[in-house]
Amino acid sequence: MFDTALTLNDLLFLAQGAGMTLAVTAVSVTVGTILGILFGVLRFQFGPIWFAPLTFLLDIFRSVPLLIQLVLGNALQSILKLGWGPFTTSCAVLSLYTAAYCTEIVRGSMESVPMTTRRAARSLGMTWGQDMREIVAPLSLRIALPSWIGLTLGVMKDSALVLWLGLIELLRASQILVTRLQEPLFILLICGAIYFLLSFPIARLGGHLEKRWSPHD
Amino acid sequence: MKIKAITIGLMAAAALAVPAKADKLDDIIGSGTLRCAVVLDFPPMGSRDAQNNPVGFDVDYCNDLAKALGVTAEIVETPFPERIPALMSGRVDVGVASTSDTLERAKTVGMTIPYFAFEMAVTANTNSGVTSFETMKGKTVGATAGTYEAIALEEQVKAWGEGTFRPYQTQADVFLALSQGQLDATVSTSTVAQANVKTGSYPNIAVVGKAPFDTDYVALFTNREEYGLINYLNLFINQQVRTGRYAELYEKWVGGEAPDLRVPGVYR
Repeated sequence: MFDTALTLNDLLFLAQGAGMTLAVTAVSVTVGTILGILFGVLRFQFGPIWFAPLTFLLDIFRSVPLLIQLVLGNALQSILKLGWGPFTTSCAVLSLYTAAYCTEIVRGSMESVPMTTRRAARSLGMTWGQDMREIVAPLSLRIALPSWIGLTLGVMKDSALVLWLGLIELLRASQILVTRLQEPLFILLICGAIYFLLSFPIARLGGHLEKRWSPHD
Repeated sequence: MKIKAITIGLMAAAALAVPAKADKLDDIIGSGTLRCAVVLDFPPMGSRDAQNNPVGFDVDYCNDLAKALGVTAEIVETPFPERIPALMSGRVDVGVASTSDTLERAKTVGMTIPYFAFEMAVTANTNSGVTSFETMKGKTVGATAGTYEAIALEEQVKAWGEGTFRPYQTQADVFLALSQGQLDATVSTSTVAQANVKTGSYPNIAVVGKAPFDTDYVALFTNREEYGLINYLNLFINQQVRTGRYAELYEKWVGGEAPDLRVPGVYR
């Protein structure tokens, strides 16, 4: 099994793929989280009825398989003649996908802050903004963090589907090597190990933050 | 007065109906990049070298085309079933992907004249005395079971009324049997035949001639309404043959005599 034709060059090729996976994930999670916080707060403030149209739209992103979203998104950008490259298209679709999940996380964690606590803050003379920054944000962030870390790790692995649009990310890079070297088990093992190396620090960071933010638990 | 109003109306309508629009050929030259769909798991037409860079006949052909247009080439790897969807979704400009010019495909994309042809070649054991397709009569021949050439060859053996046909599981088995003398000759596509002879793993075999079976002509393709670009591509293919570049590339990637790209007895 260790008698392989894999060279240092090929490992570099895989590393480039991993870089692409990281880039797509970073952009999508950043944009998705910002959108998610925005939608989540709006959803909480406006209530379910006024926000229903956007909830419906976000539900579509949560229920249609990501692969179909990517293919349809790519078709849409070509019909609209936007001239987006595969990277932009992938990031746009993945961002909306992330935002849909993140909205629910934000909404759920905001609802977990007791209404009595918030009323107490307002009756002390805090403005809505102060209440949000000083009371809601610290309390709900702790609740949201584990799910958000889970979402980030999920998006990183789901980002493998962008190979469908022709981006050479980690999984596509290993497929290319498998085609050339005909050593699927060995190469996929390395590919899996790289995914683990990318995910593990994020998972650990999540655990670390959780502990730091709840020192008295 | 009325005539004047109608004239003005017609002119306005004409102006609206013909918007100034650059075609794809202009777009490619303007963008400075030619994006080609190429299949990279189909040697010798397309594959990757030890540095994972795309190489092959189709890759060189795309580079030549880009050079002719004065732009840089970008090879977009597309698996066989993804070639046409990649074009339709605007990820590539042109398909240089060994695509057979079927009428079914021509309903979706615009096909050029053939730029390459997969001919059927006869490969023989050098001790068998087979020197052409006709001299296979009465000999022991074989091919990979189920392939187009195997079915055609078996029928040919039956038509000759003498000799034996033996089917094999894989292409490698056929060439091994040929090399060991269990077979006198076989028929396969010329690219496969030349590639196997070149490897050197099969001693005592040589490509001796063509088999008169159907040739698989392959064409470049782009969006079917882009006549300007299709025109350019047709002329480009013509120039590749005229300047000897086609023969040069064929020698480089396949070897042997380059197949004729014309179908006898018909235009185009």
